[in-house]
Amino acid sequence: MSDELLVVRCQLGEREAFAELVRAWHGPVWTYVRRMLGPVEADDVSQEVWLAVVRGLPRLKEPGRFAPWLFTIARRAVANRLREEYARPEVAAGDGPVSPDATVALVDRAELVEGLSGLPAREREILVLFYLEDLSVEDCAEICAVPVGTVKSRLSRARRMLRDHLTEKGYRR
Amino acid sequence: MNPDDMIGKLSRPLSLRSRIGAVVALLGGLVGAVGVGLLWATEPALPGRTHLAFGLLVALCLAWTGYGSWALTRRTPLFALDQVIAGWLSVVATGLLTAAAVAVAAVRGTWVGVTGVAVAVTMTAVALVVLVRARARHAALLRRRRELEGRAGRP
Repeated sequence: MSDELLVVRCQLGEREAFAELVRAWHGPVWTYVRRMLGPVEADDVSQEVWLAVVRGLPRLKEPGRFAPWLFTIARRAVANRLREEYARPEVAAGDGPVSPDATVALVDRAELVEGLSGLPAREREILVLFYLEDLSVEDCAEICAVPVGTVKSRLSRARRMLRDHLTEKGYRR
Repeated sequence: MNPDDMIGKLSRPLSLRSRIGAVVALLGGLVGAVGVGLLWATEPALPGRTHLAFGLLVALCLAWTGYGSWALTRRTPLFALDQVIAGWLSVVATGLLTAAAVAVAAVRGTWVGVTGVAVAVTMTAVALVVLVRARARHAALLRRRRELEGRAGRP
């Protein structure tokens, strides 16, 4: 069932449709929050995100654009937690609270996941949205409220930083 | 936390009962405040303690109105079906208020009573508009759901 149909059924007031929506999107939201904030805060912030979704869903005008809308809410929740980190200069914002764990290191993109924890919040965010959540550049731009060109340059900088970071850690291609 | 745990944690804001409860609180408070206020204003001579009792009743009704408004704007907004139910409840509640206001105006025959009727009729008109809009929105969403289901079922 498409997201749009699920959202329309939710807007009608079908509780089961909301449960299906949560089952479909809880994982990506949780992963995004976990990558941005670490495992300790992932549950709490994910719950905040879903509460905001419940409150905002009746007013969502474009049900077909659910994913960018959802990640915009998630990003806002994450940004609230990272506000202090965001207030610092970008180059000094690298010491994120995320720490890699052994389980995640077993997945296909282990190097990326491990390297993410060493990146500043903005670069980490764009890599998570683009690579781990498979969102388009346009969706990333909408979620981050920046132009597409900024997303591309941020992605490019993030890739370079990640490459440098992984090289420092001893990874070789 | 898995998705089912999350759904469990969201059960309260998703509960139809709690949303309709907030609507009833808002409507009951508002209609009660206007109704009691009208009775209070049209009584010709009242002792001090009765004035105090009316004042407390109006304050209590306004407190329920405030709670209902807060719950609906900040905690759990209404989905389309809830809006239709809320619309019908509003029409019934304001209709009863209008009938009571007309009765008070007929018995007392003062300008305050006539003003009360005007207020009640305005509230009923607003409630009717709310109901019509809610039904239109519900119907539009149902149409969209049928379209999407038809598209999904097409080979």
